[in-house]
Amino acid sequence: MSDVGGLFEPAFLKQLDRLVLLTRRSTVGQMQGERRSPRRGSSIEYADFKPYTAGDDFRQIDWNLYARLEKFFLKLFVAEEEITLHLLIDSSASMDWGEPNKLRYAAQLAGAMGYIALGGLDRARVQAFGGNATRLPAQRGRAGVVPLFRFLSQLQGQGPTNLVDACQRYVQTTRVAGPLLLCTDLLTPDWEEALRTLSRRPFEITLMHILAPDELNPPLEGDLKLLDVEGGDGVDVSADLDLLQRYVERLYAWRQEVETFCNARGINYIFVETTLPLDTLLVSVLRERQLLR
Amino acid sequence: MGLLAPLMLGLGAAVMAGIVTLYILRLRREERTVSSTFLWQQLVRDVEANAPWQRLRNNWLMWLQLLAALLLAPALARPFFKTAGVSGKNLILIIDRSASMGAVDADPTRLERAKSEAIRLIDQLPDGARATVMAIGGELDVPAAATNDRRELRNAINGIQLRLGGGSDMSQALSLAGALAARETDSEVAILSDGQVTVPTSTTIPAKIRFFPLGESANNQAIAAVTLNELAPGALTFFARVRNNGAERVVRRLVVELDGTLFNAYDIELPPGQDQTINVDVPASTQIAHVYLDGTDALPSDDQAWAVRPSNDPIPVRLVTPGNRFLATVLGLMPRVAVTAYLTETAAFTDTPMLTVLDASLPDPLPEGNLLIIAPYRSTAYFSVTGVLDQPVPRPSLTEEPLLRGIELGEVNILRSVHVENAPWAHTVIDSSSGPLLIAGEVDGRRIAILGFDLHDSDLPLNIAFPVLMANLVGYLAPGSGGESAFIAPNQALNISVTSDVEQVRVTLPNGATVELEPRQGSATLDAAQVSQAGIYTVELHGAGGVVNTQRYVVNAYSESEATINPVPVLDIAQAGGGVVGSTETEQAQAGKDEWWRPLALVALIVLLIEWVLAQRGGMTRLRLWWRARRTA
Repeated sequence: MSDVGGLFEPAFLKQLDRLVLLTRRSTVGQMQGERRSPRRGSSIEYADFKPYTAGDDFRQIDWNLYARLEKFFLKLFVAEEEITLHLLIDSSASMDWGEPNKLRYAAQLAGAMGYIALGGLDRARVQAFGGNATRLPAQRGRAGVVPLFRFLSQLQGQGPTNLVDACQRYVQTTRVAGPLLLCTDLLTPDWEEALRTLSRRPFEITLMHILAPDELNPPLEGDLKLLDVEGGDGVDVSADLDLLQRYVERLYAWRQEVETFCNARGINYIFVETTLPLDTLLVSVLRERQLLR
Repeated sequence: MGLLAPLMLGLGAAVMAGIVTLYILRLRREERTVSSTFLWQQLVRDVEANAPWQRLRNNWLMWLQLLAALLLAPALARPFFKTAGVSGKNLILIIDRSASMGAVDADPTRLERAKSEAIRLIDQLPDGARATVMAIGGELDVPAAATNDRRELRNAINGIQLRLGGGSDMSQALSLAGALAARETDSEVAILSDGQVTVPTSTTIPAKIRFFPLGESANNQAIAAVTLNELAPGALTFFARVRNNGAERVVRRLVVELDGTLFNAYDIELPPGQDQTINVDVPASTQIAHVYLDGTDALPSDDQAWAVRPSNDPIPVRLVTPGNRFLATVLGLMPRVAVTAYLTETAAFTDTPMLTVLDASLPDPLPEGNLLIIAPYRSTAYFSVTGVLDQPVPRPSLTEEPLLRGIELGEVNILRSVHVENAPWAHTVIDSSSGPLLIAGEVDGRRIAILGFDLHDSDLPLNIAFPVLMANLVGYLAPGSGGESAFIAPNQALNISVTSDVEQVRVTLPNGATVELEPRQGSATLDAAQVSQAGIYTVELHGAGGVVNTQRYVVNAYSESEATINPVPVLDIAQAGGGVVGSTETEQAQAGKDEWWRPLALVALIVLLIEWVLAQRGGMTRLRLWWRARRTA
């Protein structure tokens, strides 16, 4: 597989081939796949017995049981279906920031996760939300890798963060739940409402909280008027050591607050600084957090 | 409290208003784009208020600058407290360093108190003001003249040392102060003294005069005289006179040590202003007598004295005269003086005596050694004869002139005298309204005294003053002669006559230090500055084969005028513009201005430094981080 859009080196993709997407619970898919489904299907794995009722497929009657009990029971088997990986990427202007760039980092992370999912005969669907909301319809199989990478490499950060609206729209328009990877810097006052919205559907949510080094330790000094890249009124500050120290403390408290919020709702919270190498994130962090195997 | 420049407060207010205005105008901050202001808004909600005053509220740099301006404005206004001191822009300090200023009734001494007070006055001087420092007591010294360099002034004041000899005549100092004050308006003269000074009645100073009296006690007993007299061969007598200059009757113990061994002690009851004498026979072998008063008084320097046994060696004196019975008689009667008389026509001398008396005769060249020239009729290289003074009225030039000790000139009449001038090396001993009558001094390593009038033109030889004057002159010109030959006055140069076989002269000072002197033209001179201590001065004359001769000289601290130490609160000095009598301490109180702008300026500087550090602390942080990274690397 060659690199598309300059997202990855081929050697890196070979590393990804060894990884498998893990899910904590089975989800209903649209097509047959390789993952256990809560539905009963035609695999060879026994699941349960069910008393026969009119209309049932009599080909599934367990005749051995009828011989013993003289009652009709259907022998049910586990269905194996695909899952859909939902990749939600914040492409607002605030994400197109920092060195290394947050949006590029989010695109690479989503690409890697999508590549792993597609390699496992699962579906991957991408929704970018920002000033120019775009989406990639669900892709399935290796054939979907190229469109996926092309879509991600063309992402541009612009416009304000409208996380709540984007999440609401996504929740309402998505038919199939599944693992959901939300890549965002969460720099919006209504982040709680957005996460709460996503939690209303049985998504297996993982929040990738991505921040750049400049946001962790701002290189500011002197009397400044801070302008938000997404617009709005500026903030006058006198950036001295005291203020910068208070900023760092506030940032840490905010991260704690987000993590606590996520833990309370079963959301997997992972904080990422863009200086962390992507392979380290995938191989070490995500495997440790049992998102990958 | 007052302000010397109150308008500066207005300037300070304007500066503060300017600072605030600049900060308000400066509210347009540098714009910096960040990814999100979400977290910043939570931090600086209070800074976001639009009102300029609220924006200024937490601006520490502005508040520090305002504080600095608030401190600098009163500093520039030059606040002051009124204190005892001076206020003129040309200060003339006259500091008394005479022996009485060594009294310990001021902590530690009157002189040290005067110096500290003088430094305080210097510190009080307004900016740009100049000061002159004069030291009276002995010869007038001006260690700092009309300078505004305060360090130099302090050094000059600190360098003033006590003078045991020379009295404390203010005439020259006041004359000079008057001349300096006349050149500059707003002059002020500050006199720091115990008041035991001689003040001329005719001097008027065109300036304000402040007198800072020093001292509190008048309690002083002194050993006024002590001698060892050999009245007959083998009969040595010790004589001491103790005087009470205090105002109360006291009993002091006089301890007598002979050659370093305790001889006796005498309890002496001393009524105020009275003397007591001790006259006892002592062993004939005694060389040195040291006496001291046990106990303490305000002036300890004159509580001890020394005497040495007079030498028996005759001192040769050459008399060149056309014939003068008075001179021949008085010189012949002097003990230990061997007079050789020559006629005026004698041009060549075979002997080299210590002293040559030239009476109405001036050989060319002048004989070697010390000279007493009487009635010179022509000029020489050392002086000029410029005319004749008719019927001059003699008067002492100084009140404490050693050469006039015991002499009353009021009954001396003189018909005429020559006018001697151009002798800068000499000082006037007997003066008159028209010119000096007797001058004395040292030049080219020898002492010369010139008496301007012929003894036959005066009734001086018929007066009791004559033998005393001659004894004093011979004692000055031929040290070592006469009964008190071994006594020399403090701060008076010691002229030692040496013979040709003497190669080096070594003088051991009372403190044990030695001074090597090179003989020159038959004499060696120990400078007056080196004769500053009381005690025994031992002179060793070294020849090729070792010590040729040893002489002892005594310097005692006692001075009749300086022994009276009661502080005088008022000096009778006429001031210009009303003839005000010299000020008292209470009159000069609150005249000085003690400015205290310096601490304000210092605090303002510290505030500005803090403001700078705060303004630069981002840079300081980077510097610290760089340094830390460098250390760890």
